[in-house]
Amino acid sequence: MIPLLIDCDPGHDDSMAILYAAKHFELRGLTTVFGNSIVENTTRNALKICELAELDIPVAGGMGAPLVGSFAPSMIHGASGLDGADLPEPKRRPVDMHAVAMIIEQAKKAEGELVLAAIGPLTNVAVALRTEPRLARWLKCITIMGGSLDIGNASPYAEANILKDPEAAAAVFSSDAEIYLAGLNFTRQAILERSHADMLRQVSGAVPETVAGMLDFYLSRNEARYGKPISPMHDPSAFVPFVRPDLVEHKPFHIQVELASPLLRGMTVADQRNVTRRPDEPEPPRANVKAGIRMDGPAATRHVIETIASYGRG
Amino acid sequence: MTRYIIDCDPGHDDAMAILYAAKHLDVVGLTTVAGNSSLENSTRNALAICTLAGLNLPVVPGLDRALIEPPLDGAYVHGATGIDGAELPAPSYDPLNRHAVDFIIETAKAAPGELSLIAIGPLSNVALALRLEPRLAGWLKSIAIMGGSTTSGNRTPYAEFNIVCDPEAAAIVFDAGVPLSMVGLNVTRQAGIAERHIARLRQDGGRVSSVMADLLAFYLAKMQERYGTPTAAMHDPCAVIPLVKPGLITFQPLPVHIELGEGPLRGMTACDSRPMRRDHDQPGASRPANCDVAVAVDGEACVDAVIDTILGYDRP
Repeated sequence: MIPLLIDCDPGHDDSMAILYAAKHFELRGLTTVFGNSIVENTTRNALKICELAELDIPVAGGMGAPLVGSFAPSMIHGASGLDGADLPEPKRRPVDMHAVAMIIEQAKKAEGELVLAAIGPLTNVAVALRTEPRLARWLKCITIMGGSLDIGNASPYAEANILKDPEAAAAVFSSDAEIYLAGLNFTRQAILERSHADMLRQVSGAVPETVAGMLDFYLSRNEARYGKPISPMHDPSAFVPFVRPDLVEHKPFHIQVELASPLLRGMTVADQRNVTRRPDEPEPPRANVKAGIRMDGPAATRHVIETIASYGRG
Repeated sequence: MTRYIIDCDPGHDDAMAILYAAKHLDVVGLTTVAGNSSLENSTRNALAICTLAGLNLPVVPGLDRALIEPPLDGAYVHGATGIDGAELPAPSYDPLNRHAVDFIIETAKAAPGELSLIAIGPLSNVALALRLEPRLAGWLKSIAIMGGSTTSGNRTPYAEFNIVCDPEAAAIVFDAGVPLSMVGLNVTRQAGIAERHIARLRQDGGRVSSVMADLLAFYLAKMQERYGTPTAAMHDPCAVIPLVKPGLITFQPLPVHIELGEGPLRGMTACDSRPMRRDHDQPGASRPANCDVAVAVDGEACVDAVIDTILGYDRP
């Protein structure tokens, strides 16, 4: 199995992603970052998920604010960052190590084999890449849930994870790491709905029951906000390509993060034209990202839900 | 009845738009602007198209450059003359000895509420007219724009040629408060001119159609070279078609912001097309819609409508 470290901000879809990934990868730890909630909450939520699924892996807390500017939590995940899941206070504690140090240590130890999944703001990852210049080489790749090749969610063109720390995203995209991107254009092709929660409720077991409850809450929040009880399957979509490559298609792009424009800040800018270069045009920059462009959404959601359900059959 | 001025930079697709509009709408003049080519070329080509089709529309030259941006060259699509590919007749008449900006203002003033603009080049003339005469925004009935995109661009990854030629002018026009419609690349790319359309012009038409066939053959070859597609986007006529056949292009009111910053997004028409735009707690929450943006099109029917109209010039 592929060794994996997840940098996350749980978060409902983060929790699903962690539980999904734990079944298909050799999960070596979680690092947490602010994002869906403050970092104290995302760390506690990560510990709760580990306790729920009996994952004996280290959890390291990380950055609580973006490189530039400040952070105001969104309410889509509720006050705790994980409302709707009635999980007890965790007995486990985070390890006495900063997330950035853990990313670097785990990457070094795995000798080129570690996949780093980043499904929150990219602050920890950016700081790690800049603190340890060899990190980009030590990692097998970074898989990111963030950005969009079409419209955004947090602003007209920006996706929330990128918009919460655009400078960190720019630092990551300009590193030499191999990067896979699951942007909104990709995650919107996999739609979670109430029938998925119902599928989980048909299986007994703490994990499927809890995820069904989280899903109910999250879909209700989406319904209140957007009018329909559905949600793109954001975070798990960063992992599916490694498990079921048959369900996805990626394309190389040069992606640059817009930092200046007040309206477009946080946009993941990519040349999606298919043009023959004019003589007066500069050479296009080298592709730095393999971005997901197509996914068999129904098959991908079914596969993820079935994986979560498998916690209940053992 | 609504009267129209076409502000243009002909241009192969401009020529199609002019011929299409003149058959169906009360077009009272053409104002020209630097864009696809120089102002001299735009003006001469406008006169030549009118001469070819026997239209004798007043042609009024306007700005020879953008407010700030240095001139861009559209020769990679339109050739050195701005309309390569055919033997156009020498103009049989001269441009009016006036300025496009004044012509727009005076025509609007003469009958407030009755003039609409069809703007299918850079928006330099329209913007300066709006600034020179603050009452113009209230006099104009509407402005139909070919420009921008809700998806990718053509001149740059996100910007469309007409807008990126003069982004500041576009920003002025989009903030003017005049009822606006924008038909961008996301729609015009779906209205593809193909070999079969050119063949129809050659088989069924006379002199006007055969000159247009030569022009479109040149344009198609250039577009194929650049985009590798079997068809060429019929940009400019798509701004006119909704005024003649309202069902073929679907519009949605959206907030559109013209990006003016230096960098890769300059000239982008940033449209907020998120399905639900209310209640966002992040930066970039939307302003009210300022433009009807084209979002869907029956491309085949659009091209057929224009080809049919061009063929009509050769019928008695």
